[in-house]
Amino acid sequence: MNRLFSMGLFFYLPLLLLAQAKVNQGSLTLQEFDHLVMDYAKLHKTVRSKIPAMKPTKEPAAIDQHERSLARGIREARATARQGLIFTPEIAAQFHALLDQTMHGPEAARIRESMKQAAPVQLPAISVNAAYPSGAPLQTTPPSLLANLPKLPPELEYRVVGRSLILRDIEANLIVDYLSSAIP
Amino acid sequence: MRSPLLLSLLFLAGVNQAADLKLPMKEKSVRFAIIGDNGTGEKPQYDVGKEMLACYGKFNFDFVLMLGDNIYGGHSASAFKRTFEDPYAGLLQAGVKFYASLGNHDSTNERYYKPFNMDGKQYYSFKRGDVEFFALDSNYMDPEQLDWIRKQLSGSSARWKICFFHHPLYSDGKMHGPDLDLRKRLEPIFVEFGVSVVLTGHEHFYERIRPKSGITHFVLGNSGQLRVHNLRRSEDVAKGFDTDCAFALMESTGDELHFQTISRTGETVDSGVIAPRGKP
Repeated sequence: MNRLFSMGLFFYLPLLLLAQAKVNQGSLTLQEFDHLVMDYAKLHKTVRSKIPAMKPTKEPAAIDQHERSLARGIREARATARQGLIFTPEIAAQFHALLDQTMHGPEAARIRESMKQAAPVQLPAISVNAAYPSGAPLQTTPPSLLANLPKLPPELEYRVVGRSLILRDIEANLIVDYLSSAIP
Repeated sequence: MRSPLLLSLLFLAGVNQAADLKLPMKEKSVRFAIIGDNGTGEKPQYDVGKEMLACYGKFNFDFVLMLGDNIYGGHSASAFKRTFEDPYAGLLQAGVKFYASLGNHDSTNERYYKPFNMDGKQYYSFKRGDVEFFALDSNYMDPEQLDWIRKQLSGSSARWKICFFHHPLYSDGKMHGPDLDLRKRLEPIFVEFGVSVVLTGHEHFYERIRPKSGITHFVLGNSGQLRVHNLRRSEDVAKGFDTDCAFALMESTGDELHFQTISRTGETVDSGVIAPRGKP
């Protein structure tokens, strides 16, 4: 019995350790993602503190002005931003794994139906630091998909566009980063 | 009570004949109107606005719930004027408040537009008499919002709990159909905490669905938009209307919630009474 146990341990322990190492690596990668989005939120707040605060107003032009000023300030502060600055290769791989798991899991059929129902959005081009096109609808991000993705600071949200996953600055209406072919 | 100002407004609007209103119109009741997918800025929306104003002359509703797609296209100042301020000018001047929820065609920053009474929030609640209203953002139902609605509903002692948002949990639309993932997440919370009525849009027609787990669902996405003959025949449809634009009126008398759905030409297309949850 002891011998059998030892043999089992001999064969399976390395596999278990490997799996554990993968899990640890995965959570480290997601921690890194947290740091990056928190850094972005900090930058957003810094820029926002330099322009007049947005309060409910009767003047739509003031809302538009605020959105544009905030976006301009963030663009200037992230002038060199490009795709992959937040979705680094390691983080992108981790997100692909998460999304793959979700989109092939028990909730997958429902999520796909939900995405179809919500009027899928296609944009001619997606680029970092560009405004999400005014007038283009915002596709619903299914709740079960959101439940499986890392939490974001309140300044940011996930949006699905075609098969891409976008990180959007809500108040500045700005594309902060995106992950291509995210939805399997 | 009709003021001279209101009567002048009705006159100036060249008002349509108000629909034959059947609500009880009791004193001290909570009265409101509902519109969805309205923000086109085109003639049908203006016609609905005129009919609403005509009904206001008789029914004096205090506020209007907006089920999303409040402003289609760009969000310039002129777009707000063309798709909201002008079509409902008479109601706005009479002091009627609008409470908006966000649709997929809305900018998230509409929450800062004061006449939408969102106070900068994507989801919020407010109470009138014995009715509590919960506006949700069905575009982005993240775990935080789900926690929020659970807490709000569990803490509410209102006799009537009404949730309103854009994407329908039930719908017999050929174009979209129900959002099953949203339903899976929201319906158990609504059932557990006694929501009586769910109001949604997104489908460009009117549909009242036979009660599901005790909840009456309305789809009203034709207050500006219209998708003719888009409603599928189904046993779930208690009443449907997909040949013209419409809006709805509701009145809570405490024990009952009365509703009447009216087309842009003033025809009553549906009416009825809802009993509070737990009562037959």
